[in-house]
Amino acid sequence: MFHFPRLEFDARADALRCEVRSFLDEELASGGFIPAADCWVSAADPDFSRKMGARGWLGMTWPMRYGGQDRPVAHRFVVTEEMLAAGAPVAAHWIADRQTGSHILRYGTEQQKQDILPRIAAGKCFTAIGMSEPQAGSDLAAIQTSARRTATGWVLSGRKIWSTGAHFSHYMIVLARTSPAEGRNRQVGLSQFLVDLSLPGIDISGIRDLGGTPHFNETLFDNVDLPEDALLGTEGNGWAQCMGELALERSGPERFLTSLVVLEKALPLIAAHADGRRTVEIGSILANLRVLRRMSLGVAEMLERGESPATAASVVKEMGNRLENDIVLCLRSMLAGIAKSEWPDGLEALLREAILHLPSNTLRGGTTEILRGIIAREMGLR
Amino acid sequence: MDRGEFAMISEGLERILADAPLEAIDKAGGFGPDADSLWQTLVESGYPMLCATDAHDGFGGSLADAAEIAALCARHALSAPLADTILAAGLLSAAGTSPPALRIGIVDPADPSAPIAHARQVDALLLLEEGSLRCARTAANDLASVHQAEDGAARMLRQPTDIVTQIEAPDWLTPLVFRALGALIRAGQMAGAMQAVLQITLAYTQEREQFGRPLAKFQAIQHHLSDIACETAAAMAALEMASDALHADPACGPGVIDEIAIAKTRCGQAASRIAAASHQAHGAMGFTREYALGRFTRRLWQWQDEFGSDVEWAEHLGRAVLSDDAPRLWPRISQPINLARP
Repeated sequence: MFHFPRLEFDARADALRCEVRSFLDEELASGGFIPAADCWVSAADPDFSRKMGARGWLGMTWPMRYGGQDRPVAHRFVVTEEMLAAGAPVAAHWIADRQTGSHILRYGTEQQKQDILPRIAAGKCFTAIGMSEPQAGSDLAAIQTSARRTATGWVLSGRKIWSTGAHFSHYMIVLARTSPAEGRNRQVGLSQFLVDLSLPGIDISGIRDLGGTPHFNETLFDNVDLPEDALLGTEGNGWAQCMGELALERSGPERFLTSLVVLEKALPLIAAHADGRRTVEIGSILANLRVLRRMSLGVAEMLERGESPATAASVVKEMGNRLENDIVLCLRSMLAGIAKSEWPDGLEALLREAILHLPSNTLRGGTTEILRGIIAREMGLR
Repeated sequence: MDRGEFAMISEGLERILADAPLEAIDKAGGFGPDADSLWQTLVESGYPMLCATDAHDGFGGSLADAAEIAALCARHALSAPLADTILAAGLLSAAGTSPPALRIGIVDPADPSAPIAHARQVDALLLLEEGSLRCARTAANDLASVHQAEDGAARMLRQPTDIVTQIEAPDWLTPLVFRALGALIRAGQMAGAMQAVLQITLAYTQEREQFGRPLAKFQAIQHHLSDIACETAAAMAALEMASDALHADPACGPGVIDEIAIAKTRCGQAASRIAAASHQAHGAMGFTREYALGRFTRRLWQWQDEFGSDVEWAEHLGRAVLSDDAPRLWPRISQPINLARP
């Protein structure tokens, strides 16, 4: 029912992979970063983002005139998966590079594209997602944030929550209601706005996650005056645009590679204590990760062809998130019985971090239950 | 054979299978006049010779094509040794001998004592021993039945001695490669059966009503179906990756064996999950001998263990990772995926 097409890496992609690997080796050797689990959410380093921008590794698929490299989706995939596998501090630019930039490229005004995209590609402009609200999580169409037309533009009021990195971001794409729902159809009357977070009337407060890190935020928009062109795309088309954004958000390798860093760290120790059970577990993890990567590449290929692979992306995220959690739990069991004195420095902290991030894997970017609903709908069950 | 030719061949097979009384054949254990006449049709169209060379009157298909045909047959729950015969004939042909026009079963060199699929349906078995490929006719008393097995699977009580043909195996055809090729066929069959399970479960849950509405309207049931669809997609992706690798390297080098190990592991795991989810969604109906679901799940449970279970192939993969001097997973996960296809 769901088929994932083949994606071919060209010779340039292979060369690029070598470049990225040697960059990462150098950065690691010079103490440029310490590998982190869940690095695309938890490890933000604007300097690192600028270094990537300088190498042309952000906004890679965008046209040159907007600071991009006109590269195929496969090349961006190479850079992102290598960064994740290394646990590099990519959180600052992650959302801007992954979805906001492409979204602006598709729906933004020429002015916005010229103004914002080159800065994102340079690793100097960061963005956040403004979808969920305190009263509207999985039921996204229930949002209450509203935007009213004025003589000069719009007035935005409401609250957004769970916005990763909003505290250091320059822009947020905010989903807001611009006209009432039509009876039970609440997906109409929604619009997206590209909001400059330095505008007056915006208050961003950090929320600590389960492990105590303040990576996500609640943002209050108190009658914020927005210019006319803050409207992104078409008025009333916000729901459809949002779903397109989620396809970009859901299918990438960050949905199954975030705990790999912990596993790699533990691998020499597991090898030293190799037995039948541990050997089988490692082989099983390898098989599952490689297959999921093959599927994720398929989604990249669909994006390359200009398709909107919303359901295929949901399949990858649903399976990827389950796998991530299985990997962490399995790692715990493989390490059981090995004296802590033998553990390499940093492993215990990484594992603890990965365990405390377990619940978020199957929640953020669409819960497992929502994703299964999307998959079921595609099969005609809803 | 290019993709266009292969597509024609598989469409032809699809038509033959669609017209055949497959359910009746299956219920008769793959024996009887209908089974014989279907096999005759398959032989006349040359299907068993798919992977034999032109010189041996075959189609010159790659063994990876055999895995795709295996998937197609499994989607129809075909109770006939077509996929295994294709592999056996392909190997004999590769070794340089014209394959006999027989139904041939294949024996796992790693464990000849394991149940052999189709053993009672076939005329002969193909064994690889000490570098030699031996195709020998089986007699009924060479075999011991296997409890509740599908497709006439049986154990070998003694080595069949009525040799039809014996030839030195090509250098590349080691016992591990032989086992891997068998595993690829089984992975293909599992992926095909999973597609059928998905269709059957979709149809049943949309038709069957409880609490005044179709089962498919319940979220809990939708989640089972989502699970089945996801696992099926993963199995297909794994199969494709392994088939592509074999297309690119028909001598089945270590890289191909690893991809097959991944496919057999992943398909075997998916088989367990899909069998559980589909039966759960069906309730007691699926637990009857009569109902169609079992024709597929019984085979999934059988195929996941043949030519190395998911656990054995995972161990094969894990051993390679953990025996490296500086063990790392990422270089293996990100190895280039070979897409070379004719």
